[in-house]
This record gives sequence, C-alpha cells and structure tokens, in this order.
Amino acid sequence: MGPVYRWLEHTSEAELLIEDETPGGVLTEALVALGELLGDGGGEPVTHEVNVGSEDMPGLLVEWLNELVYLAETDGFIPERVVRMHLADAQVRAAIGGRRCAPQSLVKGVTYHRLKMEETGEGWQARVVFDV
Amino acid sequence: MRVPARVFASREMLDAIAVDRSLEQLQNVATLPGIVDAAIAMPDIHQGYGFPVGGLAAFDLVEGIVSPGGVGYDINCGVRLLALPLEERELGARREQLVHEVSRRVPAGAGREGALQLTRRELDRVLLRGSRELADGHGIGTDEDVACTESQGFLPGADTDKVSDRAHERGSGQLGTMGSGNHFVELQRVEMLFDLGAAAAFGLRENQATVLIHSGSRGLGHQVCTDYVRRIDTALADYGIRLPDRQLACAPLSSPQGRDYLAAMAAAANFAFANRQVIAHSIRESIRAVLGDATADGTRQVYDVAHNVAKTERYGGRELCVHRKGATRAFPPGSRDIPAEYREAGQPVFIPGSMGTSSFVLAGRHGSLERSFGTVCHGAGRQLSRTGARKRVRGAELRRQLEAAGIVVRSPSNRGLAEEAPLAYKDIDRVVDVVERSGLAARVARLRPIGVIKG
Repeated sequence: MGPVYRWLEHTSEAELLIEDETPGGVLTEALVALGELLGDGGGEPVTHEVNVGSEDMPGLLVEWLNELVYLAETDGFIPERVVRMHLADAQVRAAIGGRRCAPQSLVKGVTYHRLKMEETGEGWQARVVFDV
Repeated sequence: MRVPARVFASREMLDAIAVDRSLEQLQNVATLPGIVDAAIAMPDIHQGYGFPVGGLAAFDLVEGIVSPGGVGYDINCGVRLLALPLEERELGARREQLVHEVSRRVPAGAGREGALQLTRRELDRVLLRGSRELADGHGIGTDEDVACTESQGFLPGADTDKVSDRAHERGSGQLGTMGSGNHFVELQRVEMLFDLGAAAAFGLRENQATVLIHSGSRGLGHQVCTDYVRRIDTALADYGIRLPDRQLACAPLSSPQGRDYLAAMAAAANFAFANRQVIAHSIRESIRAVLGDATADGTRQVYDVAHNVAKTERYGGRELCVHRKGATRAFPPGSRDIPAEYREAGQPVFIPGSMGTSSFVLAGRHGSLERSFGTVCHGAGRQLSRTGARKRVRGAELRRQLEAAGIVVRSPSNRGLAEEAPLAYKDIDRVVDVVERSGLAARVARLRPIGVIKG
C-alpha cells in the first residue's frame, strides 16, 4: 500500500483520512496534508524540531498536528516534509522542513472527534477532524 | 440518552439535516452526565465535532459536567453590530474607500499585527476585565459600548494562571485581528424593518448604514480549548465517565479540571470581547479617515453577542451551566441582564447570513426561556462542505458576481471565498422563520451587505 491521504466530506470542518505502511508514514502524510490546508508555498525555507508524545497513538497524532498548528500561527510555518524522525511508544522526535510565510488559512484546533490511528491488516490507518 | 434530543426545524429542513451526522452528534450530547431537559438544536444545526454546530445543552451545577468541546475552540466567537449616523446613499463613492480602509486596519487571515500590542501584564488585565479594561486603560471603546455588550463584555471568574504560556503566546498581538474561515467585517444597509418599536430602541432606521463584525478569541482561545480537551480527556476514568465521542471530553463542574477550564474559558471569552472592541475601534477610525469625525463619533454600538460559550444562568429556580456551541443568547423583554433601554424590546440578536445574502437583527422573546434555555441560532448554518463548495464555485467568479451585485469585496484568498459561498449555507429566511414561529425571538430588521472584508 502506498501512502495516501484524502479529505473526507464534512459539513463545517476538515476531515482527513490517511493510510500508510508505518505510523511514521502516517505522521508524515498528516504533515503534508496540513501544509496543503494551510495554503500555498512561497517564503523562505525553515526547519523546526518537534518533540511530542501522548498516551496512545491517536493522541500522538493530535499532539503532532497541534504542534504544527502552533508553529503555523506563531512562526508562519507551512510544513512540507519530514527531514528525520524517531518514533517509539507514542513519542516522536523529528526535524521538519517547510517555509515561513503567512498561511492563507488557519486551523483553530485538532479535535478528538472520529479520531483514530490504528494498525490494520495492510498497514496503518488514521482519521482526524480539524476545526477550521 | 439521558434526556431527549429536541430540534427546532421545519419538516423540510429536518430532511436535509438528517443527511449529515449532526443528529447523531445531538444524541451523543444527550448522554452527558447531569444534562437537564434535552439536548437542543437550532434550525442552523449542522455537523460539527462532538457537539453539533447550532447545539446547546444545560447542566446541573452539582451533578453536571462542563465540556470544552461543547464551547468550541473559538471561545466566545461572536458578533457585534455598529450603526452609523447616516444612510447608505450618503456613502456614495466613498463606500469602496471605506471598505479598503477597514481591510487595511483590521488584519485578516493569519494576521497578527493587531491595532493593540500589549505586554504580558497588560494582556492579563484584559483577560481579567475584558471590554472594561480597554475602555478604562486604553481609551478603546466607550462606556456605552461596554454597556451594550453581552455580560457587559466580561465574564467573571477568569484566572490568568489557568491560561497556558502557549495560549498567551498565540494570542499575543492578535487583539484587533479578524482571523480566517467564516470570520468577516461586513458593511451593510438596513433594508427592511419588521418591528418599528424595537428598531427604534436599538437605534436602527431604514436605509441606515451598519457594520457587522464576526470574530472571536483567536489563537488564545483555540489553545485554551486544546489544552483543556487534552487535560480532561486523560482524566475521564477518574470520574467514571465514558463517552460515545472522545471530543465530548468533560469533567464535573465542581472538579479541579472543570473549575480550571471555566476560569480559563472566562479569560478567553474576555479576550474575545476585547478583540471585537479593538476591531470596532479600528472601524470607527476607518470611518473617521473616510467620512469624518462627526460620523465616526456618532457610530453607535447596537450590541455584541457570544455564540460559543458556557455560562451559569438561572432557569426554573435553579442555576445551570448552559453550553452554547454556535448558538446565541436571546433574553426576552423584561430581562435584567440586558441594557435598560432594551428591556421593553428584548435583547438584540444578530444572525449573519452568508456573503451576498441578508443578515437579520432579532429581539429575544419569552419562548426562548421556556423552550431553549434562552437561546436561538447563530447563523444560516452550513449545508455544504468546504470541498463541496469549492467544487461548485470558483472564488474568482464568485468575487465577480458579488461585485456585479454592487458588493465591494476584500478577501485574502479566492479559495476561502469559494468555501463561504452562499450556496454552502441554508436559506437564512427559513432559519429565521423557524426561530420566530417557535416564539424564541422575533425579527426586527433585515440587513443587506454592500461591502465584505472576509477573514
């Protein structure tokens, strides 16, 4: 299974579905999808270090995305790629790259609504809803 | 379900409402501990996260809970209406200039350079005192503005120690900024009056120019919600609470988590009142620059309402914690919680339409206290997803259509414009009709847009 993310129909918010072979791949796809949501590229290249964790993998997905939302709002950071990542026991340390410019739209929050990140027979599947 | 679910809607609207997950979400709300009477939805109900948008629920103070998701990330997102001392025709060619000036002074989208930059200590005073701090300490807003704000622009019980450093950081520099999504500043004309007495009490007359502001607590409020959903999610087992939806994470009102959240929520709500006050100040200064001092000084605040908040209110002889998630308070005539000059008419309520369509001014009625914990809807309500709207409408074409209709448009994003297209929203006339026929509130005026600055 190749990495895939797609936006699901949601009346008011943005709902994201991700499929990938590994949990690290899920986090990477989530980063790319969030970058798409925040707006187009442009601006100077920037890297950031991220270090977050949670009690479970769905919670980790929320914490990972919350950190990216925070960087978007406070640093104008639009994420594009993962440079390196270490993931173990629902804790992740990563260096991420992107660009610094004013996001065209902002994400208010990363919700726990319909949240999942779980291992399937073909890899990993995750779903998360953003308040936009 | 512990209580029933009650939806205010016409039969035709109910068929459309059933298409998304909003009714399932309402049923989930009805399972929360300590909920009183019913989980209620307004006719603008649509799928949200946890609570449906357009939902409300009241909880017993002893046995009930507080749910940060039941307030939402944009704590005290709300609407403020200003009335100019002139008619729309008097704007003439200056209309476009005024819209441009407002768009220049009120940052939209990700803008952080608000008109008021504060130190941490100054910001904390705003979190504690809301609108009052701006009027007293910074000369932004008047005593009349504060008096004509829901809860006089201030929720008691705020505690800045319960607002994280990250929330402070996100909100820093954002006072006086609009945000993005469906936030806006709209220049309007009073197109029609339905209740001349109430309109006179509100200071509205036909053809008058008005300005409607839609914004909230920006990054500070968003982070408060994030922090407390996380914290309360990890504490559910401590209280034996099991939920059908993790986003409904909740804690007993009397618990440390519940009390801390309410203190932080109050601080964020005060930030939002202050944010709209700074935006209003920027609009008055825009009016001053384009139309002169007399028009600016004569621009009056009609009222300011919150539509994402949890408040302690009294119903049936007992105090309850009322969660409004995309729903607006609408107190009736005689209420001591509204300005004295409005007590004969009822509390002003503002129901914004989508871009290019009407907005409404309503006045609260006694039916709201009897049937919906003093609450009505907050807008037209989405009926189409953002992706669905983008598939059907091109932002650039929509911009041309609005301008062809005589509406001046300023928007940082054509994509964002498409997502907020009128076809993405329900028919506001039908939504307001349900509210009025249900006895919750009554129409006072209809406002038509003549300029839109979109977030």
